[in-house]
Amino acid sequence: MSGLRKRKPRAEADGDVDMVPIMNMFLVLVPFLLMSASFLHIKAINTSVPVLGSVSSEHPVEAEVKAIVVVELKERAISLSLNADALKPETALGWSREFLKKGDDPFPFSMLANHLEEIKSAYPASDTLIIVPHGDVLYDTIIETMDVARYRQAETKLFPNVVISGKIE
Amino acid sequence: MRQYGTKRAARSFNPPKLNITSMMDMFTIILIFLLFSFSSKPEITGLEKNMELPQSTAKSDLQETIKLILSRSTLKMEDEVIAEISKGTIVGLDPENLKSSELFQGLAQRAASKTEHGTEPAEPAPILLLCDRRLPFKTINQITKTAALAGYPNFQFAVLKK
Repeated sequence: MSGLRKRKPRAEADGDVDMVPIMNMFLVLVPFLLMSASFLHIKAINTSVPVLGSVSSEHPVEAEVKAIVVVELKERAISLSLNADALKPETALGWSREFLKKGDDPFPFSMLANHLEEIKSAYPASDTLIIVPHGDVLYDTIIETMDVARYRQAETKLFPNVVISGKIE
Repeated sequence: MRQYGTKRAARSFNPPKLNITSMMDMFTIILIFLLFSFSSKPEITGLEKNMELPQSTAKSDLQETIKLILSRSTLKMEDEVIAEISKGTIVGLDPENLKSSELFQGLAQRAASKTEHGTEPAEPAPILLLCDRRLPFKTINQITKTAALAGYPNFQFAVLKK
């Protein structure tokens, strides 16, 4: 009995997990992961510039009208117009708007977003928007316009195909 | 007597046991955080210190492709400076003769080598454009026009996640 009592504490000491090798592994892994970690979350917006292509002679059905929205970014305003072969000129003209910038305020993007949403609900097959910025418009403003044009509340798709074009003088 | 005292001192000395449990907890948290932020995406190098990318809600990932970096002072292609920027215009890029620029020649050369090796897909690969958010469109337009002329009409605009 007395022999058993003596052995018991030794058995408990042997049961301790040796953490040192795990610590060593962690010490190697942490610097490695720190080096390869990316703290700068860079994403991408896919876009294109207009290129020459063939013109389709087919006239689409009214319900599948694919309208192309043209957003002109001026120094003090955003000018919007609609382009669709299947639409009558006066119908397309009815969608045209100009959103003026007040003083030093930022561009009225919320008004633009609301109008784009209306166009999208009228012509759901439309997916292309052309941005035509003036020379002095900043890149930041173009990206903001792209964000407004592509998605509504970052969820609803509006015009995912954004084309950027210089103005033909 | 002295010998006995030393032996007793040695026997009574218990080395302090280091409690590494809390340290293990800390390392585990750091490790999990780093594993989550571990990135296998293409690395972005060559960004200048004072360069500011625009912020966007875009969610698309970058592609491994030709990289152009346009800061307020230089234009780089794959980390190599190919032109200087002065007052918003690219030095050496004549708007009337875009084909004479180093940018066009570099891109055309790449397009030609891909066609030769038969690696060029039907749709040309996009160009990854990292551009300072304070630059005007007239500067960027010169680059997009030149790239389109060289056979690269598609772009990926690099942005910071909002």
